[in-house]
Amino acid sequence: MADRADLLQGTLDLLILKTLVLGPLHGWAISKRLRQLSDDVLEVGQGSLYPALYRLEDRGWIRAEWGTSPEAGGRRAKFYNLTADGRKQFAAERSQWRLFSTAVERVLKAT
Amino acid sequence: MHPAIRRMLRRLRALTHRDTLEQELDDEVRLHVSLEAAELARLHNLSPDDARRRALLAFGGIERYKEAHRDARGVRWLDDLQQDVRYAARALGRSPTFTISAIAILALGIGACTAVFSVIDAVVLSHLPYPHDDRLIQIFERNSPTNQWPLSVADFQAIESWQQTFTDVGLLRQADVPVATGGEPQRLSVGYATSGFFRALGVTPVVGRGLGAADDPPGAPPVAVVTHRFAADHLGGANAAVGRSVDVDGVAYTVVGVLDPSVTRLAGRRGDVWPDARLKPPQRRGPFGLVVIARMKDGVTMDDAARDLARVSRREFVVWQASFQDRDATLVPWSLRRVMLGDAPKTLILFGAAVVLVMLIAVANVAGLMLVRAAGRWREVSLRAVLGATRGRIARLLVTESLMVSLAGAAAGIALGILGVRVLQVVGPQVSRLGDAHMHVRAILFAVGLALVAGIVIGAYPVLHLARAGAAGGVLGGERSVGGTRRTHAVRAAFVVAEFALALPLLAAAALLLNSFVRLQRVNPGFDPAHVFTMSVSLPSGRYADDTAIATYWTRALNNVRTVAGVVAAGLADQLPLSGGNLDANNFDLVDRPVPTGTAQPVTPWTVVTSGYFSALGVRLLDGRMFTPTDTGGPNPVLIVSRSWAHKYFPDGTAIGRKLVSGGCTSCPPSTVIGVVSDVTYTNLGDVPEGAYEPMTQGWGRTLALVVRTKGDPAAAIPGVSAALRSVEPSVTLADASPMAERFSASIADPRHVASLVAGFALVAALLAAIGVFGTLSYTVSMRRREIGVRLALGAKRQAVTGMIVRRGMAHAALGAALGLVAALVATRWLTSKLFEVSPADPLTLGAVIVGLLVVALAASWAPARRAAAIDPAEAIRAELTG
Repeated sequence: MADRADLLQGTLDLLILKTLVLGPLHGWAISKRLRQLSDDVLEVGQGSLYPALYRLEDRGWIRAEWGTSPEAGGRRAKFYNLTADGRKQFAAERSQWRLFSTAVERVLKAT
Repeated sequence: MHPAIRRMLRRLRALTHRDTLEQELDDEVRLHVSLEAAELARLHNLSPDDARRRALLAFGGIERYKEAHRDARGVRWLDDLQQDVRYAARALGRSPTFTISAIAILALGIGACTAVFSVIDAVVLSHLPYPHDDRLIQIFERNSPTNQWPLSVADFQAIESWQQTFTDVGLLRQADVPVATGGEPQRLSVGYATSGFFRALGVTPVVGRGLGAADDPPGAPPVAVVTHRFAADHLGGANAAVGRSVDVDGVAYTVVGVLDPSVTRLAGRRGDVWPDARLKPPQRRGPFGLVVIARMKDGVTMDDAARDLARVSRREFVVWQASFQDRDATLVPWSLRRVMLGDAPKTLILFGAAVVLVMLIAVANVAGLMLVRAAGRWREVSLRAVLGATRGRIARLLVTESLMVSLAGAAAGIALGILGVRVLQVVGPQVSRLGDAHMHVRAILFAVGLALVAGIVIGAYPVLHLARAGAAGGVLGGERSVGGTRRTHAVRAAFVVAEFALALPLLAAAALLLNSFVRLQRVNPGFDPAHVFTMSVSLPSGRYADDTAIATYWTRALNNVRTVAGVVAAGLADQLPLSGGNLDANNFDLVDRPVPTGTAQPVTPWTVVTSGYFSALGVRLLDGRMFTPTDTGGPNPVLIVSRSWAHKYFPDGTAIGRKLVSGGCTSCPPSTVIGVVSDVTYTNLGDVPEGAYEPMTQGWGRTLALVVRTKGDPAAAIPGVSAALRSVEPSVTLADASPMAERFSASIADPRHVASLVAGFALVAALLAAIGVFGTLSYTVSMRRREIGVRLALGAKRQAVTGMIVRRGMAHAALGAALGLVAALVATRWLTSKLFEVSPADPLTLGAVIVGLLVVALAASWAPARRAAAIDPAEAIRAELTG
């Protein structure tokens, strides 16, 4: 699958946090949002999404709440929401990522 | 909330709300799959079923994902543990005989260890109930490395005035005297103490005040502190006690304070009432026998204290040179803790060693059983391995199983231990603070720790072996392949050998102690205890102030007692035989052969008696004459000595007519030896029975021991004799009336208790060793059933089969006994101080122990051997063909 990219170790947390910046989402919506935003390039294995969500919740960056989902026809769904700590963490991880990616880019551009 | 705390709460919730969390997880996954399916159906125009299948596929295995999620939740280990425990419980439940015997054996070992640990912890390891108990010392006087004695008032006052290393010095004189609070006087323990005694210990009353320095001078108003118990029993409670008056041996003391309810002893000495000692200025260096304690200043070491006391000794010597010439006598400090412990650590270490051996044998035993059991499970474990259980998982199952056995053993062991502590308190030796021992948290942790170690040890070999087997995959090999491996055989044999090797030293120690006890019991104390009873009699001091009144009472009382029906003879003494360490002894100097100036005078037990005492006790006159009523001292005091004394100091000639000066009194007239009587042991049975007697007519006491010989049962005469004593003086205090035989058996109670406890442990050890050899041989027989059947079919004699099995058991037992003998020869040397007339390497005792242990092994081997011989060859071979 050349048009699909494996997630770099450690970037999943950053991406999940990013999807939640705009508002609470449930698990499936997070994976769909990731697919959409990356134009189907990034595919998060469900096997890693949910453990990652649990991990983030454990660290206190996101908070889970049960609500009803309109797209699921009013069924119960677990919505994940960014906490204040999560926002800070997202900002920190984002700037770190930018630093890293520009550095990598610079190295690759060098002739 | 702190992240760590929040995380902990989450984990906790994960444990407590497992079902809810599982349900939520399930819901979440379900929703995900259905939304994904709907999406796929919409995008790719799939039928709902296909879409669902693809969604599931994309999800990548729901169960696997749930596992991953559970791992992240951190509860995986708990699920596994629960599963392991459930499985192990099922497996153990399938073989109840094994389970129950393993638990019982371990409970025995753990229980014994825990009980002894509790006692050691309370007696040896814990602090004295005084602040900074490491700074407390008791002071003794010593003139040679082996001879030391407690102090005198002169010593105490010298230390108090000249010492530089102590914050406080205190004195205690303990006595059993009549105590009255209005009604009948009762004989109670009284501790006459100086105020420094309380200050040094750091003990203050809970109600009222303690003794102060102002109470110490002889002219001060008499005051006393009492125990909480005494206040409750006699003075209407702690709060009502202060200000009340207590009559102690004829002196009225005002109660000023009540001690804490937990205090019944101070510095290890019992006392119900603690009056101020109000010391009078001494006239001479002696008499000795007082407890002097001190608290060292901060930073002062034992060596500093010893140097300080040596300096005080030199200065004091000059003051009392006229009455005390022993220049070598030096004041020495001993840690109060050590004094109070006495030789308890040695006895308790003996018990400790015994229970450790029992525990090791128990572990070897259960490990052996475990091995037999593991062999039987070969097929099951192999199957598990084939079905995909990892080696680690199999090992964990087996370890869980052995830990469950050992923890169950610990639970039962703790219950046994509680019982054991009570048993040790009842039948244990006289050890200070033994009564404080109980099963507390430390002891329970100790038991659990012991169980964990035991569980790992007993599970270790089967785990190593079976886990290896799991990899080898021996499904087809069947149990014989593991039951029969040389290595397993060797390990099992090693366990049996070890059990016997461990049991032998314990049995040897028990046999030596019992042998020694029997010899001690046969020692002639110098009197016939049958038909004799003794009783302590005290006169109230108020009405009996002068010697004439006292002498008149005793003379009339003795005459009355002799007329009581059944009384054959009666006499009085100031102390009784077999008094152990609480004996009055006196120093003396022979006029013919005085000791060189500045050296120690000899010391001998010194008893003041009426002449009736000898006939009541059955002591015979061997030479010279008895006391007569005219031996009233004055310028010509007289003495009677024991045969051993006469033999020791005058081996070649008669002791009659010799003169000596006693008590270091150079100005007193010398006493003349007028008679030699047969030996009586005054200290402990087995000690040299020497002694000297002074006639009561040279000085009567107010508290004396009455010795009465009767025609029939001595106890039956006690009421009549008591009435006779009271008919002369109704307010006389009587106490401790008991047959002499009881005193005799009480005097050897400690050796009896030590010997019987060690014997108890040894019996358990022998029993466990027997179970070990029985279990192993039984297993061998069942494994070799077919082979034995073939042998029998081929004409082997049944006796030969029996012999083969018995020989195997005996070989292991004999090897173990031989190894144990070597260990015993090394270890029992340590018992020397506890043995009487028995060498720690006594060949007869050790030989008997070996024979005894081998007989036990023979008996244990017999049943499996008989079963082997009874095998029906036809059936065994049929089993071989069809099996």
